[in-house]
Amino acid sequence: MNDPRALLEVRNLKVHFPVEKGIVFRRRVGWLKAVDDISFSVAKGEALGLVGESGCGKSTTAMAVAQLQRATSGQVLFEGRDLAALSPRELLDARRNFQIVFQDPYSSLDPRMKAGDIIAEPMRIYAARGGLAMSEKEIGAKVTSLMDKVGLLPSFAGRYPHEFSGGQRQRIGIARALALSPKLVIADEPVSALDVSIQSQILNLLKDLQDEFDLTFLFIAHNLAVVEYFCSRIVVMYLGTIAEVAESAALYERPLHPYTRALLSAVPIPDPPKERLRRRIILKGDVPSPTAERAGCPFRERCSEAMARCAIESPKPVEAEPGHLVACFLYAGKEG
Amino acid sequence: MSDTKARGETILSVRNLKTYFDTEYSLVKAVDDISFDLARGEALGIVGESGSGKSVTNLSLLRLVPTPPGKIAGGQILFRGRDLLQGGEEDMRLVRGGAISMIFQDPMTSLNPLLRISFQIAEALRLHHGLGKQEAKAKAVELLKAIGIPDAERRADDYPHQFSGGMRQRVMIAMAISCSPEILIADEPTTALDVTIQAQILELVKGLSDENTMSVIMITHDLGVVAGLCDSVCVMYAGRIVERAGCDELFRDPKHPYTRGLLDSIPRIDSAGRHRLYSIPGAPPNLAGLPAGCAFRPRCDRAMPICEREYPPEVALAGEDGAPRSVCCWLHAAGHSARSEA
Repeated sequence: MNDPRALLEVRNLKVHFPVEKGIVFRRRVGWLKAVDDISFSVAKGEALGLVGESGCGKSTTAMAVAQLQRATSGQVLFEGRDLAALSPRELLDARRNFQIVFQDPYSSLDPRMKAGDIIAEPMRIYAARGGLAMSEKEIGAKVTSLMDKVGLLPSFAGRYPHEFSGGQRQRIGIARALALSPKLVIADEPVSALDVSIQSQILNLLKDLQDEFDLTFLFIAHNLAVVEYFCSRIVVMYLGTIAEVAESAALYERPLHPYTRALLSAVPIPDPPKERLRRRIILKGDVPSPTAERAGCPFRERCSEAMARCAIESPKPVEAEPGHLVACFLYAGKEG
Repeated sequence: MSDTKARGETILSVRNLKTYFDTEYSLVKAVDDISFDLARGEALGIVGESGSGKSVTNLSLLRLVPTPPGKIAGGQILFRGRDLLQGGEEDMRLVRGGAISMIFQDPMTSLNPLLRISFQIAEALRLHHGLGKQEAKAKAVELLKAIGIPDAERRADDYPHQFSGGMRQRVMIAMAISCSPEILIADEPTTALDVTIQAQILELVKGLSDENTMSVIMITHDLGVVAGLCDSVCVMYAGRIVERAGCDELFRDPKHPYTRGLLDSIPRIDSAGRHRLYSIPGAPPNLAGLPAGCAFRPRCDRAMPICEREYPPEVALAGEDGAPRSVCCWLHAAGHSARSEA
């Protein structure tokens, strides 16, 4: 599993939150297992997508990777270094290389800062610490070039966030994330708050920037069509675990996990005759509560192909085809 | 669906509806002179981005626009031939939740957190059908079963917070269909839900409309949802309907540059290859300061000088599958550069 090309490697990551009860005497009554033992790696230059429905742990994974959420156990290796083992100073230095684009362009920009200052802030912080040799003048020039790159008029640098539309604000967020020339960009649902006609603008912009700056992406989204368009490889999550990992073309052509198949069949296609002919797998019920103590496969209650074994042990990801991992006993035989 | 179903009688007819909002700075024409007909049993999709006026259209139908600042400035909403805008508030209350009912976007905030589920569903039944407490509750349990809530007898006495998002949206649907409405208006009913839950809800709505000859108005920004459910579609932009067509035709052969741009800019899971998505430049306009002429002109790649001066007339086109077809665009206006299309 030690991949020399991996820029980011996540090993056996677990993020559990205590569930507490009581007002005066708080006691722990259980654990919410938001992320439960997942491993994956992101190679340099690729765009890896994390998809799943709400509550599957995709955002928690992103926050744990960015060290904004402490992991319960497991490791996050960035360029081979365990981020959790770094001192706060070292972590701050390392952070230059992984930056985040947030979901909500309304709440992720300080309303009292001008656009130019928002984009300049990361550079000013590192310049003040001596980690970045840039004068205020150079920072200003970089802000201008970044705004130009993300499709904003540099003359808007003096405006406040409320003077921009949602799409433009997301562009500011992207410029801020790129200010320190990071190697990895973690994009947490970067287009889900935007209108349809703006979504494609931002997706195309991110693609162009990826080519131009040789960026690596960890791209989190719930919209499977968006992920397919943007990512070369996809991790499907369900209830804090990984259900399937595959190249994006393979995943859409031959989904193996029963959950992935249902998920893909549920995505509407904007083509009425095709829609009428599609066989939709309608899943019963909802995602079970992540606080429940449970054994076996997390998907078994909603799975049409569940077997006796699924209730007893939980399936581990196996390589069903080259580069195509799936955590399901239907494919366990193929391991040999 | 759309190609097999004959068009029924018109049950709702919206004529020249105008809904304006008085703001401190200007008059915002959220809905500006729109007309459409809804046939019995038809599923009509109203598609648009934020600010297109689709939700305000919806609220206007049941006179739920907050007044002030909003007001219905003109037009008619003819339901079974009677103008809903003429009657008093009392008359309107008899229509709401009875003959015409509505599902709102956000199932988290549309239920009263302090009342039991069964009470909230029974409320409309008691009001419109005059059922007693026990009868209404029994009917509520029946409805919960019909929409697929497991263990309905017990769950009926739960409070909304004990239900998941998808279940709450089912409860909203149960409330909406409790009085067997003739028209169900669904305003982005699945936007707040995950795709697998969205599929459940859409399947439910489709089943209900097929068996009850209930008409559905589906308001959404998601063209995929429209493709799977609707018979005909109106596309809205900046407060007006810019294109209307039967569902299949609209997707096969969009006429308005906005519709075409929208269809080309959505990533889809069935697209072979990874060609670059089209993107419409610019952003949806601010309704407080619309330009003269066509509102889409600043973003349109086929704009002509006339688009700047005058709003295009609605041009009727020959529709193939029985639904009315028209487009508001100078490219299609007779005698004006119609040739350049070929």
